[in-house]
Amino acid sequence: MFKTVKSKILITAVVMLAILMLAFGCYAIISRMRTKQLMVQNYKFSISSYVEDINESVISLHDNLKSLALIGNLYYRTDRSNDLTDRVITRIFENYPQTLGGGIWFKPYAVDKSKKYNCFYAFRDKNNKIVVDKNFSSDKYDYPNQEWYKQIISQVTPERNIIWTKPYYENQGSYTMMVTAGTGIYVDGKLVGIATVDWKITSIMAEVSKMKPLERTFSMYKSGAEIKSSFTLFGNIKDDYIIASTDPYLENEKLIGHSLKEIPWYTSANDLFYTTYINYHGKKYVPFVNNLDNGMVLIICLPKSEMFKDVNKFYFAMLVIMLLLGLIIPALLYYRLKRYIVNPIDKLTDIAHKVSKGQDVEIKLEKPEEFAQLASTFDKMTKDIKLITKEKVKINSELSIAKTIQASSLPNVFPPFPDRPEFDIYASMEPAKEVGGDFYDFYLIDKDNLMFLVADVSGKGIPAALFMMTVKTLINNMSQMGYTPKQLIESINKKICESNKSGLFVTLLAGIVNIKTGATSLINCGHNPPLIKRQDGEYQYIRLRPNIVLGLFEDSQYHIYETTLNSGDIIFTYTDGITESTNLQEEMYGEERLQACLNENRYDNDVKDIVNNVKTDIKNYVGSAPQSDDVTMLVFKYCSDISKTERFFSQMAVPENYKPFYTWLHGVCDEWKLNDDLKNKLDMCSEEIFANITFYAYPSSNGTIEIKMNNTGSSVVMEYIDNGIEYNPLEKPDPDITLPPEERPLGGLGIFMVKQMADDIQYIREENLNRLIVTFNL
Amino acid sequence: MDISIKVVGLSGLYVKAAGRLDLDNAVEYGAKIKDLIEDSDDVINDVTLDFSEITFISSFGLKVVLELYKQLKEQEGTLRLKDVSEQIMSSFKMVGFDKFLIFE
Repeated sequence: MFKTVKSKILITAVVMLAILMLAFGCYAIISRMRTKQLMVQNYKFSISSYVEDINESVISLHDNLKSLALIGNLYYRTDRSNDLTDRVITRIFENYPQTLGGGIWFKPYAVDKSKKYNCFYAFRDKNNKIVVDKNFSSDKYDYPNQEWYKQIISQVTPERNIIWTKPYYENQGSYTMMVTAGTGIYVDGKLVGIATVDWKITSIMAEVSKMKPLERTFSMYKSGAEIKSSFTLFGNIKDDYIIASTDPYLENEKLIGHSLKEIPWYTSANDLFYTTYINYHGKKYVPFVNNLDNGMVLIICLPKSEMFKDVNKFYFAMLVIMLLLGLIIPALLYYRLKRYIVNPIDKLTDIAHKVSKGQDVEIKLEKPEEFAQLASTFDKMTKDIKLITKEKVKINSELSIAKTIQASSLPNVFPPFPDRPEFDIYASMEPAKEVGGDFYDFYLIDKDNLMFLVADVSGKGIPAALFMMTVKTLINNMSQMGYTPKQLIESINKKICESNKSGLFVTLLAGIVNIKTGATSLINCGHNPPLIKRQDGEYQYIRLRPNIVLGLFEDSQYHIYETTLNSGDIIFTYTDGITESTNLQEEMYGEERLQACLNENRYDNDVKDIVNNVKTDIKNYVGSAPQSDDVTMLVFKYCSDISKTERFFSQMAVPENYKPFYTWLHGVCDEWKLNDDLKNKLDMCSEEIFANITFYAYPSSNGTIEIKMNNTGSSVVMEYIDNGIEYNPLEKPDPDITLPPEERPLGGLGIFMVKQMADDIQYIREENLNRLIVTFNL
Repeated sequence: MDISIKVVGLSGLYVKAAGRLDLDNAVEYGAKIKDLIEDSDDVINDVTLDFSEITFISSFGLKVVLELYKQLKEQEGTLRLKDVSEQIMSSFKMVGFDKFLIFE
């Protein structure tokens, strides 16, 4: 099914499309990756700018702290005016709006040996008003024992002078989660106290959660949409503790102050170009790690799916479109191909079928243009074929007429001269094609001379046949002009040369026989050698001195072979169609087979039988192979002396020779034109006697049987001779033919029948010979 | 010699041959029929010899016919000869076979 044009084009289209889609797919994947990378970078910058704000507030806290420490220092070294210090602190806090509260805390008894607690504390109330709170300088609060105080005072050094406490719950009033930053107040290198600033963790986290990085960074993201379940970790890397986290899967409040490592997705990776994903609760997140100036870290995790939602949507839509195109394009291609190529081809095929069946079909296609053209060409071709076929039929019928004419131009009534018993002639030609180049002819030139010939014109078919007719007529005409055989053949050659413009030539074997004397001239012009059988001998090839074919050179000399025929002599002539008959194995029949076939049947002297025997033998040899050349034969038998009527047969007396014997006998009967009844009688009697001699005459060895046959004009006398044991069959008593069949013996019929049929029987024993002479009256 | 033998019904034979019933062929002709009768599982007792294409009969042929006739007679069968030509008929007459053979 993949061999059709339709499928080939379709496959090509699909492959091309696949390549295109692959290329486009690769491009899409890479561009999607790039886009994501760019987006991540955008997120990163956007988040950094937020973190920068936080960082700034941290710096401002630090400044705030330093200012407080300076006030503390001044207070310690100067007049130690509480009132002024309160006012200065208030003012400082007004300058740092991010600060929740803070103060100056002197070490116990550091300022005044009599006063354990000495501190200044201010905070923002609900109305954002700075309020100085005096309540901390009491036993009740006992600030030196507060955790934050201890943490700061124990860690602060002149070199590392800003300490951030761990988050803690402020248990004085607001009960919120706090982080406190503190710095030491050094006077002359001696730590006298600390200054602190409070940072409410909830407010930091609130600030962080206010971030909408997506909205600001990527314009494709719908404005106002929140990142779904993003979460934040706020921690101190240096001291490794969690300041705050907003992980929905963790108990964030309890984790505060613990190690950062307890956050399962804690990461410090922060690569600008390579995006790291973390897997958390089956969801992918992109972590953004931001380090703050105070050694804290802020990690914000955004869910990947949310970040790239629109990009994914976009590429998914693209994929769907690509797939749809991938389906639609081949489908469209298929439809178009089918309509414009395959359907017209099918239609033309259908028409061709109809045309080949001989139907009249109107061949018309309107589009596409190429097929319309093809159809009209096809239409014309069909009409032309019809015309040509018609002509061919006509030519064929003319050819078969030509064949008939050619066949009837050869003498084909046999026997041709029923009133001339001195000779017999039989011929046959089987053309290989409708008309052949072989021919034979025979006619009486005058009262005593008969001419017979076989010839083969070079080439085949109509040209050869036309040339053959010319040559045949020419020879016939020339032979009537009273030339000698040599003159005749040379002038025939000259005439053929004159009239032959097309380079054809003829091979010829001709014989001119004087019927009275048997004097014969044989002429062989490049032809196959004829065979001759002298009376009761075997067939032999007559190797005549070869002459050149007729029609090539005007002045060619020809040699004539002279011989004399005796009564019973037979000449067998033929064309090369016989010896060159080929069987399926491409082997030729050949001269030897021809000779063998003739000799096998040499006792059959009937001219027609001779021809038919050879025909049958060739047919058997060739089998189903086609006939490649014309097959022509002509047999001439001379029996000049009609009064010489003795025939002779001699063979070994064995059953195998029975058939040659009766073939010979039939031949003689036919030759003498004996009636069927007599022929039958001769047949029956001869068989009995032949069998008797074969079976009984030579009990211990082989011997011969000789049969003489004499036509006296009034009777046929048969003489059967053997030199076996003496036996007179006439002495045998006749069987009783009146007995009922059951009692009749099986044997003894033969000789009884001979006696019944013969007109006279004599037995003679003479010089070791048994001679049985049987006479049948005519 | 081409000899075709057809079994007709349960016990019949139809024998057709072409050519000469002579020294060469008669024995083969007779033997073939005889073998068939003897080899047959059923008793063959009705034999028809088609002579329409027999062209010649010699004493060897006559002997075979007689032999066949006797064999069938023994088992109470019938031998029929069909389409015998005039020439062959004269041979039968010559030896008196026409008196007991059945011609059709």
